[in-house]
Amino acid sequence: MAAEVVMPKLGMAMKEGTVSTWNKKVGDSVSKGDMIASINSEKIEMEIEAPQDGVILDILVQEDVGVPPGTIICYVGNPNEQLTEQNRSANELQAPKNEVAATISLEEPPANAASSKKSKETVRISPIARKIAESENIDIETIKGTGPKGRITKADVEKVLAERAAEASHPPAERDNPAINKETLPVAGMRKVIASRMHNSLLNSAQLTINMRADVTDLLSLQQEIKEVTQQRHKVKISLTDFIARACVLSLQEHKQMNSAYIDNEIHLYNHVHLGMAVALENGLVVPVMQHAEKMSLVELAAEIKTRAGDARQGQLSTDRMQGSTFTITNLGTYGVEYFTPVLNPPETGILGVGATEDVPMYQGDELQRRSLLPLSLTFDHRVLDGAPAANFLGTIKQYLEQPILLLL
Amino acid sequence: MKPLVVIGGGPAGYVAAITAARQGKQVTLIEQKDLGGTCLNEGCMPTKSLLASAEAYEKIKQAEQFGITLPLEQVKINWDGVQHHKTAIVKKLVQGIGYLMRKNSIKVMKGEASFLTNHRLAVRNENQVEEVEAEQFIIAAGSEPASLPFAPFDGKWIIHSGQAMSLPAIPSSLLIVGGGVIGCEFASIYSQMGAKVTIVEAADQLLPGEDADIAFTLQEELEKKGVAIYTSALLTEMQPENKKALFKHKEELHELQAEYALISIGRKPRVLGLGLEQVGVHFSKQGIDVNEHMQTNVPNIYACGDVVGGIQLAHVAFHEGTVAALHACGKDKSVNYRAVPRCIYTHPEIASVGMTEKQARSEYGDIRVGEFSFTANGKAMIANNPVGKVKVIVEPQFNEIIGLSIVGAHATELIGQGTIMLHGELTTDVMEDFIAAHPTLSEAIHEALLQSTGQAVHS
Repeated sequence: MAAEVVMPKLGMAMKEGTVSTWNKKVGDSVSKGDMIASINSEKIEMEIEAPQDGVILDILVQEDVGVPPGTIICYVGNPNEQLTEQNRSANELQAPKNEVAATISLEEPPANAASSKKSKETVRISPIARKIAESENIDIETIKGTGPKGRITKADVEKVLAERAAEASHPPAERDNPAINKETLPVAGMRKVIASRMHNSLLNSAQLTINMRADVTDLLSLQQEIKEVTQQRHKVKISLTDFIARACVLSLQEHKQMNSAYIDNEIHLYNHVHLGMAVALENGLVVPVMQHAEKMSLVELAAEIKTRAGDARQGQLSTDRMQGSTFTITNLGTYGVEYFTPVLNPPETGILGVGATEDVPMYQGDELQRRSLLPLSLTFDHRVLDGAPAANFLGTIKQYLEQPILLLL
Repeated sequence: MKPLVVIGGGPAGYVAAITAARQGKQVTLIEQKDLGGTCLNEGCMPTKSLLASAEAYEKIKQAEQFGITLPLEQVKINWDGVQHHKTAIVKKLVQGIGYLMRKNSIKVMKGEASFLTNHRLAVRNENQVEEVEAEQFIIAAGSEPASLPFAPFDGKWIIHSGQAMSLPAIPSSLLIVGGGVIGCEFASIYSQMGAKVTIVEAADQLLPGEDADIAFTLQEELEKKGVAIYTSALLTEMQPENKKALFKHKEELHELQAEYALISIGRKPRVLGLGLEQVGVHFSKQGIDVNEHMQTNVPNIYACGDVVGGIQLAHVAFHEGTVAALHACGKDKSVNYRAVPRCIYTHPEIASVGMTEKQARSEYGDIRVGEFSFTANGKAMIANNPVGKVKVIVEPQFNEIIGLSIVGAHATELIGQGTIMLHGELTTDVMEDFIAAHPTLSEAIHEALLQSTGQAVHS
């Protein structure tokens, strides 16, 4: 009997997953364990393997169409096997009991998957504009509406058509120019999610970045001192990042306004600290969340950071481990970057950018010493708080880093 | 608060003033006559009052058909009473605008404004001149009746629409030069009141902007009331001393004597005397040049309403005034002429929105046309008014409703439905399941829509 391949549930909070790439098409032979598709949800991307040997009998969910976990995305079976009513009812049984899954059937073209359709139906668009867009295969979600409250009008669709026509009649000069050697990559999967989130972040908040340098000479000495002990006793090597994370957590508890989110014209202040740590992957970026970091000691926090970063690099981070962060840290110091302007991870109010430590000669009283300075860049949402309280928050982080003993208490 | 001055207190001007004031501007409005402009004082409102009186008279004369017996020989028009009704309504409405000015803390100055610089105006009131400074200006000076070069208005025999509504008595005969909206409305008023009316129109039909079949329905009704209508007719001479006009029709020269000659050949924007040359605002005799925000080439000066030419209707002026004021207050607002209803208050009324059938055929080639006659509408029969029809124009590829014309009773109210359809860019399939109340005149619109898609029930 044909085996069903379903959209996996990658975390408790996962509501929808998307096939970013099909590696196989209907009729292709597969062996058990072959990669048949890449799927993504939030910022996670993972491969789907063939559950058995056979051929791809049918593909029910097209690329870039979101469906709930549990939805059958394809069938793998014997080459001449016919999908039966039983398959169909199995599909109905297995799919979650909601309208989105219920509309995914063998008869329905996958491109009309309800979740995608639903989002298109919520776009404000006039009936005639919708009809013209559909007949011309224009994705209505890409059209800028100029009517009341952004409603898409006939004129808006006609503008897109005119632009298309102009583009077709005047192709960009480089298109046929052999001297220009370029490659075009589709924006899909994780890149698409990041592109959309970062763009929306800049569009929908008032971001301002301030910079400060912390003298981490004493901190680095302390790190050297306790490194061996923690490694032996707790199997954790404490890094500079762990200290910075701990300093952030303590500072966020003192400056509640920074530990907040701007949602629907309301500022939500949090008592807990769910700390996000940006982790670079080969093909993108994820932000694992250290939940209730305020309850963790430095060693516990360091252990949690290492576990989650490891999960992220192996593509094993569940979506609920990437949600709910109240503040994020991003570190480009290992790449030699000094200061930069981090982009807020919405709806959070703040994100701390960490740069590369630099050794500089500095006067300590009358004595010139070699000191290690750590560049810190804090981007914050000016809708939530102003420059002075943000500077105070960054100052508190600096204080903790410059008096590292406080981080151990 | 940054000061803004509005020149003209008509529909464009007073709406612009109120809108700007509500946006926090300190607003001064300058008007040389009464608030309300042409619409309230010499146009829409007084003519509609006269029409209401004429229609009431017409209705009373039909009393027998409704089972009411009256001594009809005693039913007469009291012209003074008609004028009083009109004046009282106009007065009330003008007072209403005065109240709105006070409520929105708008300073109203009486006088004639002209620019000295692009931040300063001279306001002349009789022999006094006052200078007013402001950061921004909105010109809403309106329009005035256009005259014939060889027959200027004398107010005695050759009159314009403003004078035609305040004649000392119902004229025994009236020559109307120009069979457009204004000419047809006056023909309707005075023919119902018993005057012998003649229309001389240069185009080949009345209401040249509307479809011939729609205009012809009105022509038939006017002719039933004794109106003589000459289309494709050219006026050649006016003799005020003899109250005689000469015009050419079908190669024949006609001579006509009438108590008054109303010239209704259109209205021209009031662009002179405003000192526009002084500040470099671009304009022509067609009106002041503006962009989609109603902004002139001088960025702190806006213009709206009849003074910019274009569609000279009060409701368009309201919209343009709002856009001008909001843009002057920093809002990114543009004009939207997507669905402008055109209303003609004749008997029967005519109202339309969007394209006429003629325009649609030239734009789209084959189109779908749905029609429903009021002769088959119960409510129209009950009201003893089964004249006219609804015509809907549908674009064939996507079934977009692109035009609606109505000729018949209450057309100017019914057209609101068409305006919504065109503004909302609706298609016929959206309207198929629409439930029209029964019995109503609105049913005719639904039936016409259904007919355009071959699903009509009652025809």
